[in-house]
Amino acid sequence: MLRLERLVSILQLRYKLLQLVLDAFRELIQLRPLQSLKQDDRHRCLLVPKNNEIMGRGYIVQDDVEGYLSKLCEQKADPVTGLLIGQSSTQRDFVVMAIRTPQKEESAAAARNSVDKEWVTEHARQVSRMLPGGLSVVGVFIITDADAKDALTTLRQLLFAVENLISSEHLWDPADDDVTDCVTLQINPKTRKTVCRTFDIKDPKSVAKPADWKYQSGLCSSWATVSCSLNVDMLLPLPNNRTSTGNMEECLKEGLKAWAHQIECGLCLIDGKRLPEDSELTVIQRRNLRQTYTAQLLITTENKRLTDVIQQCGGSVSVTGAIHSRAYLHSNKPKARQAEKLLKRDVVSTVATRVQMMLEELLASDQESKGSCRDKQQKELFCLPHRIFCPLKVSGPLCVCDYQFSDEDLSEVPERLKEMLDIDAAEEDLDTRQEMTVEITGCDVTPEPTQEKVEAPDHKKNYIGVAMATAVALLATAASMLYLNDI
Amino acid sequence: MVVVDSESATILRVKGLLEFRCQLDSTDEQLVRNAISRTFETLRSQVKSESCVLAVSDSPVIIWPNKDAYATPEEITPSTPCEDMHQWIQADEQETSGKKSSKKKSKKSSLASVINLRLMTEVTKPGPLSAPILTKTVLKSHFVSVTLPLDCVVRTGSSDTIKDACEQLIEALTHQLCEMEKVTLQNMKGMTLLVPEPVHFLLPEPKGLVTVVYPAGVPDSQLVTQRKELHQQFDLPDDRPYFRRANAYHFPNEPYKDGYLRNPHLALTHPTLDNGKVYLVQGIYSYHHYMQNRVDDNGWGCAYRSLQTICSWFQQQGYVERPVPTHKEIQQALVDVGDKQASFVGSRQWIGSIEVQAVLSHLLGLTSKILFVSQGAELASKGRELANHFLTEGTPVMIGGGVLAHTILGVAWSETTGQIRYLILDPHYTGAEDLQVITDKGWCGWKGPDFWDQTAYYNLCLPQRPKVI
Repeated sequence: MLRLERLVSILQLRYKLLQLVLDAFRELIQLRPLQSLKQDDRHRCLLVPKNNEIMGRGYIVQDDVEGYLSKLCEQKADPVTGLLIGQSSTQRDFVVMAIRTPQKEESAAAARNSVDKEWVTEHARQVSRMLPGGLSVVGVFIITDADAKDALTTLRQLLFAVENLISSEHLWDPADDDVTDCVTLQINPKTRKTVCRTFDIKDPKSVAKPADWKYQSGLCSSWATVSCSLNVDMLLPLPNNRTSTGNMEECLKEGLKAWAHQIECGLCLIDGKRLPEDSELTVIQRRNLRQTYTAQLLITTENKRLTDVIQQCGGSVSVTGAIHSRAYLHSNKPKARQAEKLLKRDVVSTVATRVQMMLEELLASDQESKGSCRDKQQKELFCLPHRIFCPLKVSGPLCVCDYQFSDEDLSEVPERLKEMLDIDAAEEDLDTRQEMTVEITGCDVTPEPTQEKVEAPDHKKNYIGVAMATAVALLATAASMLYLNDI
Repeated sequence: MVVVDSESATILRVKGLLEFRCQLDSTDEQLVRNAISRTFETLRSQVKSESCVLAVSDSPVIIWPNKDAYATPEEITPSTPCEDMHQWIQADEQETSGKKSSKKKSKKSSLASVINLRLMTEVTKPGPLSAPILTKTVLKSHFVSVTLPLDCVVRTGSSDTIKDACEQLIEALTHQLCEMEKVTLQNMKGMTLLVPEPVHFLLPEPKGLVTVVYPAGVPDSQLVTQRKELHQQFDLPDDRPYFRRANAYHFPNEPYKDGYLRNPHLALTHPTLDNGKVYLVQGIYSYHHYMQNRVDDNGWGCAYRSLQTICSWFQQQGYVERPVPTHKEIQQALVDVGDKQASFVGSRQWIGSIEVQAVLSHLLGLTSKILFVSQGAELASKGRELANHFLTEGTPVMIGGGVLAHTILGVAWSETTGQIRYLILDPHYTGAEDLQVITDKGWCGWKGPDFWDQTAYYNLCLPQRPKVI
């Protein structure tokens, strides 16, 4: 009896070993790049596997992107990296735009030939802030004639870094139906050979899976838009004796998280109707050619507070006002559930982004100003930047967005759009009507714009992570002239 | 339980949480009170604003009460009668997308039906609106953060429309916020604040449901003055409690979580005797019987269970806060008063009415009268006494004799003919809490005088109600 058992266990072991070997072999096959494609050959660049188990994702790409990537190939620089923007859902994946990583001015010629991972990630973070709901960074690309395996490794690193940074800033929990596959595109500038792979960013050990990359025209016009204007009204205590900007940041982050949860749990009505989760948006309006929907959000306070009813504090911070929120869904069977999810996420991220931007400005100006009256009792008002939309194409509803501080000139927006998103837009194209600039009543807080602005020309060129320090400092000092009222 | 009178009345109950937040700039008492009053005023205007929304639970109906009662789905208009809302309310298993397939109204119970609504806030508004401002105030101060549990009840008549109901509900909510403000300010001591909590009480008709706001955490014993005022205000006798927290009304959709049946006798049809009247226990008790709580007391625990039923009555009427005692606790109490030896605890020894009286006195501080009949046949002549007991005290009666103990919940007695029936709650039942079985098989039922052993002697323990509010 014992002999038989031992025999069985040996066979089992051998079987397991065989499985391992087979798996490794399969992996090996996947990583080998395939036949290259000619530039005008619009077939897919997919490794056709013999094993039916390996099913790849299929990306449908706006045909403009092909031209854009082609132009980048003609540039001298190598490598050129960039981001791919689009929408991934359980049914389909779309890419509407490709954006090259902007040049770093100070970099030496030698440094230009390597990929600066941090630079790429920071660019991705900034770009992510400029995308309304439904659009996100779905992948990265690289144009290089380096070895394919090395390029893939680089792409993998970039992809994980980018996606991890972006998702770490999210104030919501991932949903079960979120797609966690992201795409990497590798293009050889000379042969135009294109290799497309996906990785599951939820899995740090994820291996590359082959994917479809197909160009299609007219993609940008077939999107549904869901939007709303939403009131925010938050009041949070600041801890005792710790009222610096850094502490304020902590409090705001906590408060935003709680508020984000309220939004997530809120009831969503689309065009005044409460739709069952699996229904499609088109159920509401069959003849809605422009496919625009207005949403309403109803929230409740769910949790009973566990903290003390009255606590000592060193002050308070409040955020009050309204924002315009928007989300796009591809209009081939847009699901109500997805519309709700994407809109709620945009609501949360637009508020969080603005608060974050304001905090970044304040932190930067804190360092420059020497010990301004931070400890004195005071009340300061800061206008959060308001949202401006810019259409991606002349026809088609898709827009990107930017945030304009109240003391900035509108002309700066197209400059930022060019630098960050590499799109050419004129001031006339910008949609500034969604949010009104706020007027702070009771005191004139508008700084003298003209002189101070001239002093900071360098800032205009490079917006990544650098605050408009002088303008903001001016705003802060003007605001600090407001004393406490109504004790 | 008192039955609400009008058959077609619908009770609308709106519940919701509102965040009360404010910064107290100084500790000066008057300024603090002003700040709190101001914040309450803000909440009141929030309730009266267009962003206040009422969502009917378990249904797709959502109403904006301050927008001329605009509602979705569109079939509901401001002039729809309130009763129609029942058609939109789905039971748990069904979807909440549309009307019920049949227009049958929910089963008519003897209680008025309750529609539950949730108070919600709409945060979206048609734009464009002003972009947000961040205000930072640096000031050593205090921060108040409370979640107010709003809970209002409104009774609507059969002809009331949604619009009427909305007006009443908003008024009720505003009024409750005023009450909460009063209670909060009354109970403020320095920098401590108690959360105001609304509690509903069902008063005898025609007063119906009344809501009182009590400060959370303050025990009943410290609220005597408030209760006295309420008794005066509602013209209630001052010898029995109506406004203790234990007297709070249990809405039909809020089942008791402890699993015991309440007042199974209400499911019975009472006997009609010539010139006879029915005298019943007043208030709420739980049915305690053999085998509950995993205690196997089959054959010896009947008197204990009857005692537990009596204790549950005193607890639910608000006279005591102590939970219903276990068998061991009952035995320990008897040892403590010197009635039994220490070895009694954990044994399966029987107890009788005298022991029941002793335990009620020692554990709950209650007095009881003992009634003795030398022969079971004599019980038929105790009609007047029992009727009086149920009229004045209204407590369940424990009767022990022969080898059995029972609980008497009422009598049907005719003064002229002397006919008598006894409403018996039998603690010898060993089954599950199935009302159907219990009433069908007579575990709770009306018995005639022949129910008693005609030759055995019986002792009855008649617990007396303390004269308190």
